[in-house]
Amino acid sequence: MSLEKVIFGFFVLLAATLNFGFFIGDLSDPALHNEYELFAAVVVNLIATVLKFGDRTQIGAVHLATSLVADLQLIAATLTWVYATQISTAGMTPEATASVVSLSGGALLANLVSVALLVIETTTFHRR
Amino acid sequence: MRRRTRIARPSEGSPTVFLVLRRMRAPLIVLILIFGISVFGLTLIPGQDAEGHPVRMGFFDAFYFMSYTATTIGYGEIPHPFTGAQRLWVTATIYLTVIGWAYAIGSLLATLRDRAFRDAIALRRFTGTVRRLREPFLLVVGYGQTGQLLGHALDDLGRRMVVVDNTPEHVDTLDIDPYHSDIPGLVADGRNPHHLGVAGLEHPSCEGVVALTDDDEVNLIVAMTVALIRPGLPVIARTVSPAIEHRMHAFGSPTVVNPFDRYGDYLRIALHAPSSYLLSSWLVRGEGAEMPAPGRPPAAGRWVVCGFGRFGTKLVEDLSEDGLDVTVIDPSPPPVDERPAGVTVIEGDASEPSVLAGADLAGAAGFVAGTGNDATNLSLVAAARTANPSLFIGARQNRPANAPLFGAMEIDWLLVPSEMAAREIYARLSTPLLWRFLQEMPQLGDEWAVHTLAKMRAYCGMRLGPTWKVTLTDREAPGMRPWLHRGVRIGDLLRTPHDRTKRLDAVPLMLLRGDETVLGPDDDVTLSAGDQLLLVGRGKSRRALIETLTNRVVAEYVLTGREVPVGWIAQRVTGRIPTSAESAGRSSDDA
Repeated sequence: MSLEKVIFGFFVLLAATLNFGFFIGDLSDPALHNEYELFAAVVVNLIATVLKFGDRTQIGAVHLATSLVADLQLIAATLTWVYATQISTAGMTPEATASVVSLSGGALLANLVSVALLVIETTTFHRR
Repeated sequence: MRRRTRIARPSEGSPTVFLVLRRMRAPLIVLILIFGISVFGLTLIPGQDAEGHPVRMGFFDAFYFMSYTATTIGYGEIPHPFTGAQRLWVTATIYLTVIGWAYAIGSLLATLRDRAFRDAIALRRFTGTVRRLREPFLLVVGYGQTGQLLGHALDDLGRRMVVVDNTPEHVDTLDIDPYHSDIPGLVADGRNPHHLGVAGLEHPSCEGVVALTDDDEVNLIVAMTVALIRPGLPVIARTVSPAIEHRMHAFGSPTVVNPFDRYGDYLRIALHAPSSYLLSSWLVRGEGAEMPAPGRPPAAGRWVVCGFGRFGTKLVEDLSEDGLDVTVIDPSPPPVDERPAGVTVIEGDASEPSVLAGADLAGAAGFVAGTGNDATNLSLVAAARTANPSLFIGARQNRPANAPLFGAMEIDWLLVPSEMAAREIYARLSTPLLWRFLQEMPQLGDEWAVHTLAKMRAYCGMRLGPTWKVTLTDREAPGMRPWLHRGVRIGDLLRTPHDRTKRLDAVPLMLLRGDETVLGPDDDVTLSAGDQLLLVGRGKSRRALIETLTNRVVAEYVLTGREVPVGWIAQRVTGRIPTSAESAGRSSDDA
């Protein structure tokens, strides 16, 4: 068992679970989607991305790509949230909440692919 | 057709950006964590608005505040002045974030300065430069003394090169020294075929490989690699070991240059034909060289050779082939049964006066200090001079830095292996016909060389002009087409286009017809289509000859004395139409 693998797996999974936690619940109800959870998801996703930097294998490249997609979706969700709370006069309307949550839903899909890749990697390289 | 082996590339070098990313992993994670904790803390700590109501900072405000605080820009406390608890937290985060930034930027700079990273960048740039080369180029492996001498000479000729050397200082000279063209250089081991592949061994424009490293083994491996990867590509390899030379010849047909071997060959030429030697040593020095001083001719008689290593063995072989008596002094000579016949061997250190006295220098004609140590060679020369001032002195200079010392000793016959190898390779590469001339010239004897030297002095003066080759084909000499098929006298060809009674300042050195050569052809020799002529002369004669060869009107005047107008209308009006191939054929039939 290597510590590096533990940390890597931990962050990849945590990124997916936090994302899931934020996403779950009625799409348009702001009360069901905690902004702290979104913040944590963004930070953990960024860390997971950096952990995937510089891996030259094919699976490493796909790993990095999925993480970049998740980052992009989550940052888009954050920007929508900032627009709704800071710039728009209407505040967190059900429509705004729905778009933030659905963007994070896209990130969740990417994170699930990431987890799937992690599992595949583990099963194919179990001898190492 | 023979299947060609290709050098497989070990994964086309991944973009260097990945290297940077990998190195930046830890600092970036630290930075993200510090930012995350700081922003998160700031949103948790309660603040106050202007009326004293408790408010919490939003994520966006917190992130905005941390961004300008962490980068030490600092716009003040927004949206409301901070409470004590907030200031306490911000104080802590300022220090944390500044450390995070400093760590990240420091790591980035360290990565950019890192040797591995810069090597990766240099390799990429080199690979790209070599791939984009469109002119024929030579691949030079080993860029020490010999390589640099050769490189400068070839660069002056406008030839392109790619250099591989395992010493960074040698490759750095490519940037420091003045060169006309940009010469790509790579610090790499020539023994590795991949490095040769990166340096353009498989490039279609690669016209030859020159192996000049100090290590004979490396030169052998380079010659082998070329023979296996690109059979048929010309290879020139330097070696000082007969065994390695033999092994090189096992692969393809490389040109092997052994400076130790040449020394004796030239000494023999000088012994029999001093003028032949003078002529060849002048010609290999290249354009602009002063005619070398004749110097003392080596004397026949008994020769004393100090040092019986690779150099001494070759020299003694050459001298005894000439029927000269040779005395060898060496501290550890080969066993008695392996010694060449007719050679007296004295065992001992030549620098000891008693050993040297045993060689009876007073009765000797020549003395060669040929050990591998410059200090020893210099002291041996001094000692020999004292014993017999009239000795012909030869010496071997091993290190280039000692050139002034050997110069001051006024050695009659100095061997500088790096210079000798560079000159010989230069002569082979610059004008292959000249090399053939130099090989065949000594057989004509000294008389002939004296005659040629006198002609060259008369036409070129004391400074050597360019040596060039003229090919009499329709392609390269279109102006000569009407006359070539029935032959042109050399004397007629070499007339000035301005006044055909005057002769061009050029000396024909050799005529190559098919595979036969005529050395120093007379003016009465007739040239025909396909002939190649090697000439030496002045730069302006070369340009004049090119005019004769390419311009039909000029050729008409030079060859026949008939003046023809240049323009088509003027030719029709005056009725003076230049000779065409058909009319020339008819007139010859009439005759």
